[in-house]
Amino acid sequence: MTAPARLLLADDHALVRRGVRLILEQEPDLTVVAEAGDGAEAVEVARRTPLDLVVLDIAMPRMTGLQAAREIGRARTGSQPPKLLMLSMHDNEQYFFESLKVGACGYVLKSVADEDLVGACRAALRGEAFVYPGAMSALVRDYLGRLRRGERVPSTVLTEREDQVLKLIAEGSSSKEIARELTIAVKTVERHRANILAKLDMRDRTQLTRYAIRAGLIEP
Amino acid sequence: MRLYWKVVLINGVVLCLALLALVLGPMSVSRSTVASEVLVLAGGLAAILLTNALLLRSSLAPVDRVVRAMAYVDLTGPDGRLAAPPSGPGRSLVDGFNAMLDRLEEEQGTSNAKALAAQEAERHRIAQELHDEVGQHLTVVLLGLKQLEGQVPAAQAAEVAVLRESVRDGLDDVRRVARRLRPGVLEDLGLTSALAALTNDLGRHHPAEVRRVIAPGLPGLASDTELVVYRVAQEALTNAARHSRAKQVTLSLVRIGEGLVLEVADDGIGFDASTSGAGLRGMHERSRLVRGDLRITSRPGQGTTVRLAVPLAVGPS
Ligand SMILES: Nc1ncnc2c1ncn2[C@@H]1O[C@H](COP(=O)(O)OP(=O)(O)OP(=O)(O)O)[C@@H](O)[C@H]1O
Ligand SMILES: [Mg+2]
Repeated sequence: MTAPARLLLADDHALVRRGVRLILEQEPDLTVVAEAGDGAEAVEVARRTPLDLVVLDIAMPRMTGLQAAREIGRARTGSQPPKLLMLSMHDNEQYFFESLKVGACGYVLKSVADEDLVGACRAALRGEAFVYPGAMSALVRDYLGRLRRGERVPSTVLTEREDQVLKLIAEGSSSKEIARELTIAVKTVERHRANILAKLDMRDRTQLTRYAIRAGLIEP
Repeated sequence: MRLYWKVVLINGVVLCLALLALVLGPMSVSRSTVASEVLVLAGGLAAILLTNALLLRSSLAPVDRVVRAMAYVDLTGPDGRLAAPPSGPGRSLVDGFNAMLDRLEEEQGTSNAKALAAQEAERHRIAQELHDEVGQHLTVVLLGLKQLEGQVPAAQAAEVAVLRESVRDGLDDVRRVARRLRPGVLEDLGLTSALAALTNDLGRHHPAEVRRVIAPGLPGLASDTELVVYRVAQEALTNAARHSRAKQVTLSLVRIGEGLVLEVADDGIGFDASTSGAGLRGMHERSRLVRGDLRITSRPGQGTTVRLAVPLAVGPS
């Protein structure tokens, strides 16, 4: 078995940090090797500790999670910089797009951290993007708008099911709601989601960022 | 005071003239007044009154105009001002009245600005506390319950799972309330992102197609100006969603000359020029706070366009 991934956890609220840590440490492939109470400290720790993944709260004193992410991403020169994952209270896709822009590959809402955080960490470690649902619906709606206006879009062949899921995502339905609507398992919905992202060329951070800029969702 | 003296003077002069005419003129009044004398007296009185009336009329006309204007004046622009007569006491009256309107408008503007600023500050504080205190504690509980769920027997685990969902709902509520109170995106990520978020929200909840044209590399604005642009866009989009029945809504933000222009246009049912409401008034009020220029064009059946131009360089008043 390979060594577990080394994580840095940054959140200004000590109890939140503890809760997140307990959840992550239940997983054998993840280990929290350091903690930080604000953005500046996170940058400092990341500089001297070898890490695979940094989980950053967005709202922190001294330096926000977004600023810290940018710093961490650019500080390392020699070795591979750690992957970055944002944790946030804000249910707003703009924070997700901004996170992509500063180099993070995922965004987890605190209110679903108990369900999604572990999966997001693993996706980040694999180099995939973890697309938060609100952002996915914004992206998909933009895609459908382009399609309707006859603009050039990545040519895709979605299966009929994927197409149904796509429409429901555009309407802002959650995976659970989609599962109920189509009477399929949540896991199946998640798989369709992943396939749709792959087919629309939105699999990783770079592709997603490019798409969001073109859609005018973030400034280049 | 000068008006008072002018009235006294006019009356004095007219009465003196009448007296002189009586003393020097050929007429007289007998002890038992005869009809012809009454006729002459009546004529004289009429002449006095007429002269007096004519002279007073021009002096007092501005008073009437001011009184009338006071009843109807609307403190929302320079249209309520009176044209002053070229000279005399009437002029100072009208000038004084106009100056008072200016002052009132100025004061109303500042007190509105203060009230709006206080309201925004208070919302900001509440949202912050919701996020930083209530939200964090709920997050701790949520994560703790998840942890607990794996450690208790199956029967209790189901119970814990129910609690966990309930905490999640609470957290969602807190977040939603905080988000409505304060556009956190505006402060954290800037106007462009905040407007993009507004259009995304509309697109999610409304069947209309929402288009967004935001010029890249726009210069920054003073923070209170940004807030005004944001609030106007928010109200215009909300109105379009609630009232317009539009198929397409377009929000654009571009630079034109020395200003930034926000435009929210829909192709919906439009409305009558006489329509008013708290939302429309609020847009005008906010725009005035930052010396913006707000135009709302709408006609029944023709759609609606809300256009706000704000100056780039100058800050708030
Ligand atoms: N885009 C629009 N299309 C059609 N009608 C509109 C539009 N915007 C405003 N109106 C009309 O103008 C009226 C006044 O709008 P206003 O925003 O002042 O009030 P409101 O939206 O009804 O309430 P609120 O005070 O919550 O904004 C509306 O009730 C509606 O009839
Ligand atoms: Mg309204």
